[in-house]
Amino acid sequence: MSISTTDLKVKDVLLPPDQVPVMGPTTILKQALEKMNKFHLGVVCVVDEEEKLIGIFTDGDVRRLLLKSQKPFAALFVDDISVHATACFTSISASSSLSEAVAVMEEKEIWDLPVVDQDSKKFIGLLHLHPAIKAVMGL
Amino acid sequence: MQKTLIIGHDRKVSKVTIGGQNQLVFLGGPCAIESREHARTMADQIGQICDKLEIPWIFKACYDKDCRSSPDSFHGIGIEEGLTILSDIRSEFGVPVVSDFSDAAWATATGEVIDLIQVPAYLCRQTTILRAAGETGRPVHLKKGQFMSPWNMKNSARKIEATGNSNILLTDRGTFFGYNMLVNDFRNFPIMAEAGYPVCFDATHSIQMPTSMGDISGGQREFIPYLVRAAAACGINALFMEVHDDPPNALSDANTVLDLKYLERILAQAKLAHEMRLDILKQWGEDRVHLDD
Repeated sequence: MSISTTDLKVKDVLLPPDQVPVMGPTTILKQALEKMNKFHLGVVCVVDEEEKLIGIFTDGDVRRLLLKSQKPFAALFVDDISVHATACFTSISASSSLSEAVAVMEEKEIWDLPVVDQDSKKFIGLLHLHPAIKAVMGL
Repeated sequence: MQKTLIIGHDRKVSKVTIGGQNQLVFLGGPCAIESREHARTMADQIGQICDKLEIPWIFKACYDKDCRSSPDSFHGIGIEEGLTILSDIRSEFGVPVVSDFSDAAWATATGEVIDLIQVPAYLCRQTTILRAAGETGRPVHLKKGQFMSPWNMKNSARKIEATGNSNILLTDRGTFFGYNMLVNDFRNFPIMAEAGYPVCFDATHSIQMPTSMGDISGGQREFIPYLVRAAAACGINALFMEVHDDPPNALSDANTVLDLKYLERILAQAKLAHEMRLDILKQWGEDRVHLDD
């Protein structure tokens, strides 16, 4: 049975946590950047001990940080990721429709949309624009 | 939020609190345990000064001096006799004691006696030593190596934290400036404090000129008062100084130890500068002079 692209939900397309750079708040920036490379994603998701999403840090944050900070790289690299992660981020629930999610990504001009349980705030996965577009286009 | 350390593991000693808005704590004593009687004399005389000034303090002396410039240098009284003397001093004077160890095999025995276990600056990256220190369960006095950046001390702290021990005091004892010379970068205190631990200034090792005199280290102890005032004003939770009643004849660090006759004056100034800083912060708060977010 095939699913109509109009019926697709976020949960059908999201990348599960084991395919996303997920880390605790005391992970150092250098390790966070390495994880972004490893997963080929421009975002890391920072979670607390209860796996609640407490921040994200993106490629854009890296660019802004490099232009703003006057710290030596050696000092920046050992900063906790929580120091630089954004605590104010947009997220979506797994049961939302994919078209709604893509509309949010278009409006916010973002490539990645964290998926969290709206009640517990637990991190469920990441909606990445490329697989989302592929799904919407039926590719 | 800065961690607060409670130093003193039994009722034989007066517990000392380091960190937060608490009083400046003094860590002091002779570099090495030269003899039982000398250690007792130093503990008695330093204790009298600290009592008079109402400064909480911890007695410092080491039983093994593994980081000497020459094979002929005094190497220490040894672990067995040294720990017995330290144990007796803490019982007799009711003062917590701090001492270092340079062999991981000595950590457990040392931790059973002392209240604050010290990791020598030269060994501050050594995982085996840091793990051994953490596993004693005692608060750890971790000195920044002269070759280390202040931000990288967090790496060393993480090695101790990995043992489940997160009671750490981070100390600056100067940074190499070329060869045979140390300088103090007072940015080190706020940077090291970012790790969440109280910070300490080691004044007498900071004025050391490592191995500048061929087979021993030199030192410019005339700068001790200046550096102490600057560090206390900058923001420290504890002050470390090695003190001796006869520096020219000290068996270890003779060129850097502070003459006991100056201790009261310098501690009084340090205490005053620390209290003034706390008053200033109470009135003004700390300015976070960052670039605009």
